[in-house]
Amino acid sequence: MSDWFEPLPAEEKNSEFIAMQSKTFLQEAWERFKKNKMAVAGLIVLLIFTLLAIFGPFFSPYDYDAQDTSNAYAAFSAQHLLGTDKFGRDVFVRLCYGARISLLIGFGAALINSFTGVIIGGLCGYIGGKFDTIVMRIVDIIYAMPSMLYVILIMMVNGANVRSILIGVCIPGWIGMARQVRGQIIGLKEQEFALAALVLGASDKRILFKHLIINAIGPIIVQMTLLVPSAIFTEAFLSFIGIGISAPMASWGSMAQDARQVITLHPVQMLLPTLCICLTIFSLNFLGEGIGDALNPKKK
Amino acid sequence: MEEKVLEVKNLCKFFEVNRGFQGAQVVQAVNDISFDIKKGETLGLVGESGCGKSSLGRTILRIYEPTKGQILFQGEDIAGFSRRQMLPYRQKLQMIFQDPYASLNPRFTVGEIIGEPMDIHNILTPSQREKRVQELLETVGLKPDHIRRYPHEFSGGQRQRIGIARTLALNPEFIVCDEPISALDVSIQAQVINLLEKIQKERGISYLFIAHDLGMVKHISHRIGVMYLGHMMEMGMANDVYKKPLHPYSKALLSAEPIPDPKSARARKRILLEGEIPSPIHPPKGCPFNTRCPYAVAECFNQMPAAFRVDGRQVACYLYSPKYLRKRESLNIEPLLSKEA
Repeated sequence: MSDWFEPLPAEEKNSEFIAMQSKTFLQEAWERFKKNKMAVAGLIVLLIFTLLAIFGPFFSPYDYDAQDTSNAYAAFSAQHLLGTDKFGRDVFVRLCYGARISLLIGFGAALINSFTGVIIGGLCGYIGGKFDTIVMRIVDIIYAMPSMLYVILIMMVNGANVRSILIGVCIPGWIGMARQVRGQIIGLKEQEFALAALVLGASDKRILFKHLIINAIGPIIVQMTLLVPSAIFTEAFLSFIGIGISAPMASWGSMAQDARQVITLHPVQMLLPTLCICLTIFSLNFLGEGIGDALNPKKK
Repeated sequence: MEEKVLEVKNLCKFFEVNRGFQGAQVVQAVNDISFDIKKGETLGLVGESGCGKSSLGRTILRIYEPTKGQILFQGEDIAGFSRRQMLPYRQKLQMIFQDPYASLNPRFTVGEIIGEPMDIHNILTPSQREKRVQELLETVGLKPDHIRRYPHEFSGGQRQRIGIARTLALNPEFIVCDEPISALDVSIQAQVINLLEKIQKERGISYLFIAHDLGMVKHISHRIGVMYLGHMMEMGMANDVYKKPLHPYSKALLSAEPIPDPKSARARKRILLEGEIPSPIHPPKGCPFNTRCPYAVAECFNQMPAAFRVDGRQVACYLYSPKYLRKRESLNIEPLLSKEA
């Protein structure tokens, strides 16, 4: 029996030992994010749009409002990468300017709305009682009005520009986030780790921000990635019905509006801006999902 | 006489529920409870689910606001203290939680979890803290290099050890153990219990140990208290209560404990209680146990009995009042005061 087994050489003793290297939270999150192919693709598309929005116009000799009526509806060419529109304006440059407006409104509104929503929702959920009841009824009143009404009213007063749209979108925009966060916090604050923090002597601020909100970060990010497209959509919609960004400034919505009359003759005019909107929103959704998963340490 | 670490006097905790059309209804979770715990002593609390054991522990630690009564910690009444006033006492009064999966913040590393109490109370510099966290990890039997891992990378028993390490970070003098072993595997339970006993021996910490595992409570506790519907029914030395329960409810509760020996298990008479535990919103008048007590007498339906001293223990039952001495014997409950009386 004994010669069935033979001792291993000493150096092989630890050859099976697998030690995982310790990484910081962000390193691990990045690692998990990289595994999600669609999210990475979304990130790349968004980066391209952002770069084009910032630097695109510098690489083109044309201005967004430079007209050349003799060259209207030109096809794709070396002079005009993506052709020209009905006034002979360069479509590529106009798309870049449109990206500026869309991304500015989208991300600006999402940041402002998330901040307001997380703070108000967090406080309501944590404090509860009368404070919660009163704030939530005010929220109901704001929510009861059609959100488009706020945007249109603000634009009547302040003029049709990016700032008005941003303000209009941000008045009712934080409500979804606030409700979401409030619900999360109400569930989380009864958890034992919140009680443990209380027993350790943690302040309310510490419990709310370091223990509760950080545990709601997944749903917050998902909600945030829904806020970006909804703001982009609102802008595109307003421009499409003709009350958004005023001519000659270009936005994806107003370009689609211009192309509406010639959709049968020049479908490309419609296709390009809508394609931009679609790509941006798809990318944002995949990106949001990827970040949400990456920030959850329970998913390996 | 040994030093009393904690003394609870007539503590009550009522919760308001169903604030509806009928007005607020009140759940009397903790009702007029008094006891004390000495330095280095363990008081076990037993009772069925919903009897107010956990509420009592949480009220003592001021997670819940006490409705009435006093909580004397080292002679100081902390029952009415504000959160700011409580802060220095938070270091001395700590808690170990029931569910090791819920009691650790999943977004914190082990180092952050155990270091947090030191961060809150501003003890030690960050580098000293890391060293202390590593020492604490070793104390509870984990490896110091686990410091950068997340709670989900550990098993239930290991997580409970992390929770214990966090509790110990502030050198507490009194710990409420709220069913610290009921979520663990049987084989792990013994490890955690031994760890708690070792820590108690080394540091002279007092425990209030809440559990439903009667055998485990008897093993770890010096004294045992039996609770029913917010009231303390009986309290005495662990062995006395365990071997010879006096209160009819304690008898029933202890007779339900499984005995790991078939012969003696068969020989034992199980006391089966009739009916359900009454709703704590509408507790019966008088002794809360009167709906199920086989020996209930007229007084039981009028007023909750005060605790009678019998054999150096406290029993809240009229059967132990001098008046009913004879009746009790005729009821053929085991002779209770036989030798001593």
